[in-house]
Amino acid sequence: MNLINSPWYKRIFKDAWSYWTGAILLATLNTAMVAISGKGWGVTTTFAYWGAWILQLFGADVSGWNFFQLEANSKALGQSVFTNTGSVQNIGIIVGALLATLLASQFKIKKLKSYKQFIAAALGGLLMGYGARIAFGCNIGAFFSGIASMSVHGWVYAIFIFLGAWIGSKLLVRYFMT
Amino acid sequence: MAEYRLDCLGEACPVPLIKTQKKMEQLKVGDTLIVEIDHSCAMKNVPEWARKVGYNVEIEEVDDGEWEIYIEKTK
Repeated sequence: MNLINSPWYKRIFKDAWSYWTGAILLATLNTAMVAISGKGWGVTTTFAYWGAWILQLFGADVSGWNFFQLEANSKALGQSVFTNTGSVQNIGIIVGALLATLLASQFKIKKLKSYKQFIAAALGGLLMGYGARIAFGCNIGAFFSGIASMSVHGWVYAIFIFLGAWIGSKLLVRYFMT
Repeated sequence: MAEYRLDCLGEACPVPLIKTQKKMEQLKVGDTLIVEIDHSCAMKNVPEWARKVGYNVEIEEVDDGEWEIYIEKTK
């Protein structure tokens, strides 16, 4: 029997895993991440580093910025994509997602449907990036790792992310879905 | 027993689900709606919703990363 047609291949690579499977794997991997790197999983703090590195390429000096006064952040200014833990993690997410979609034969380059969709995506991305910075994390760093490490800020984040998602979906239906 | 198509290609969650819910309201009992999607999480939440309402649902993989969800309005 051919591998692609085996029911196990379909179960593991093609079908969506249950929420339970995902939750247990995420919890285990995040625990391993804390044990190895000393920090919970996060995504967007690294984006600020990437932005700073790009600015540094063009000769800008960001070391005076408030954000880079924190020791962990100022250390990142001297690192690169290959030596910064968060960068390696983020590249892992992208490569892993690509691998998963290829293994499931579900890779597809999607078309932009309308300029409205483009505006909604760009606006949403900017707001999420800005929000993640002023909230000291995104739904991974602040929500997932925050609650898992018993920090109150994770719960506060949870309340407002639901509020934000509710308002966001109202806006989506009203202005961007025609 | 009419058949309708709903083009949701290129749309991300929750747009396919909301569009499907709106379209199903306009259909008569016995009609079928074919929702075209290329967003794998819509392949989960659209059939999930339709089955919960009690409609008949079938999913067909038509191409790499492209699906058609057949929803029959049963009531």
